[in-house]
Amino acid sequence: MTIEVSSVSYLKNKKLILDEISFEIESGEILCILGPNGSGKSTLLNLISGNLSPTKGDIYIEGQNIKNISIEERAFIRSVMSQSQAIVFDFTVREIVEMGWLQRGLINFSQNFEQAFSKAVNEAAIEDLVDKKFNILSGGEQRRVHFARTLLQSWRPSNSVEPKYLLLDEPTANLDIKHEQRLMKIVKKKAEDGIGVIVILHDINLAAKYSDKILILDSGIMKNFGKTFDVLNKEILEEVYDLPIEISDNPFKIIY
Amino acid sequence: MNFIFSYFFFLKFINRFQGVILSSLIVLTLCFFLVSISNGSFSFSLISLFSLEESLNKVVLYEIRIPRVLLAGFVGASLGLSGASLQGLFRNPLADPGLIGVSAGAALGAALLIVLGSSLIPEFIFNTFALPIAAVSGAAVVITMLYFFTRGFGYQGITYMLLIGIAVNALASVGIGVLTFISSDSELRGLTFWTMGSFGGASWQIILPALFIISCSILWMIPAARKLDLLQLGEPEAYRLGIDVQRLKFKVIISSAITVGISVSLSGMIGFVGLVVPHLARLMGGVNHSYLLPTSAFLGASLMMIADLLSRLLISPAEVPVGLITSALGAPFFLWLIYRSRQI
Repeated sequence: MTIEVSSVSYLKNKKLILDEISFEIESGEILCILGPNGSGKSTLLNLISGNLSPTKGDIYIEGQNIKNISIEERAFIRSVMSQSQAIVFDFTVREIVEMGWLQRGLINFSQNFEQAFSKAVNEAAIEDLVDKKFNILSGGEQRRVHFARTLLQSWRPSNSVEPKYLLLDEPTANLDIKHEQRLMKIVKKKAEDGIGVIVILHDINLAAKYSDKILILDSGIMKNFGKTFDVLNKEILEEVYDLPIEISDNPFKIIY
Repeated sequence: MNFIFSYFFFLKFINRFQGVILSSLIVLTLCFFLVSISNGSFSFSLISLFSLEESLNKVVLYEIRIPRVLLAGFVGASLGLSGASLQGLFRNPLADPGLIGVSAGAALGAALLIVLGSSLIPEFIFNTFALPIAAVSGAAVVITMLYFFTRGFGYQGITYMLLIGIAVNALASVGIGVLTFISSDSELRGLTFWTMGSFGGASWQIILPALFIISCSILWMIPAARKLDLLQLGEPEAYRLGIDVQRLKFKVIISSAITVGISVSLSGMIGFVGLVVPHLARLMGGVNHSYLLPTSAFLGASLMMIADLLSRLLISPAEVPVGLITSALGAPFFLWLIYRSRQI
């Protein structure tokens, strides 16, 4: 049960965005990708989700090259929450969340829909918003709606052994601290249920609190990868972020 | 079995309220059809429809009136549906086959064939096959071009799309103007027909193949509704939800080109229907495409039959070109839309 990224490079307009990235993540783990703006975090996530193809190198999900997995099948294996675009037409929140319920799921598990839907809505804490129009919501509320949609997409019957991964691109952007903590707790719970999670975060302390592994990117180069507390050390963080950084040990906290 | 199930999959996303709207529209469309065929410069009572007596009236009804009203309905349905699906594809509420130049492209394709090709193609396939094919090709070229120009502009694409529409419309009127200049008298009569739109030329021979192709294209398009919904989240997001975005685009482009192209080749340029109809449908019941696509088709058919009826009744026994009526009603609506979107 792994996603393996094997010496992946990505070129855009002849510019090297990612250089020879290799790592592995197992299901049940939370991997956090850290790095300054423009370090290639979102590109890496787009490569893993299959939206982009690597210029060099390969990505394997469960040992199968992602190139050989159909678009529809990929939607079952991983759900992605990205920094979304504006939605032009006036959809209701319910309609947006429902978009995460894939066609195959609808046909085979239609009797589970209501239960799966209310679970996702509950986990994302958007019960009060379900019948509102999506476009009148605040930025943070819209994020939570997309989170619910992502959760619904990752629904599977309880006896399923199919692999599942969550790829989250700054899921806590625009969220207040209450909803931020709540969202990360849900993510943690999903990982405990056996889902593999790759998440991009900006808050290093949040990453330290919730992730099992951390990958640090800087200008497309993998600076460090490993267990959270092995990776987060003063030298690397200062180099990558170009800031004086202090780490206090008890409780673990990064001060900058 | 599975195929049938997945075909009707889109019905799951129509809620009860929308279901009521859609089914009443279907009934309404049938009523308008009956009203339309029984009124005009000749009026019939509906009962006489079923009498066996041979009469001049009956010939008028069966050979002229019914094909004409059917054609109006189908053209309305194709314009409404292609408006709705193009708006979905471009994620842009102002996409209308007329405004963005698709109809003009179709008219230009048809006009080119009339002037340059009428002597080369045998008459018996000219109106039924060659002309629609030329119009469909013209429409397809314009949609593909639009797509390549507006890609990457995202939501900002609205402005570019309308500007391209202006350019294409201008180009088409230049083309049609040049063709008018070099055409012979009989070709000229054919050409003027495209600028205003009319259902006057309908006969069974001409409309049957067209109705068949339009129906197929509509039936092909409607099940893609759910995919169009997902596309509203943005192309990368739709892809992540398992949608083959390239195939979906291809489908919308081809089916819109076919329906608009054929409609234009049979009835000329009829403006604003593709813009107004989907907006009315959204105002009535919601924005999800599973509801929007079939509703736009039926609403388009109803409105077009009414417009055609008006065109026959207003200055009876003469006729107002139907394109004038739809534009007279649609243009103010378009202005209102712009005014409203300015406030957001």
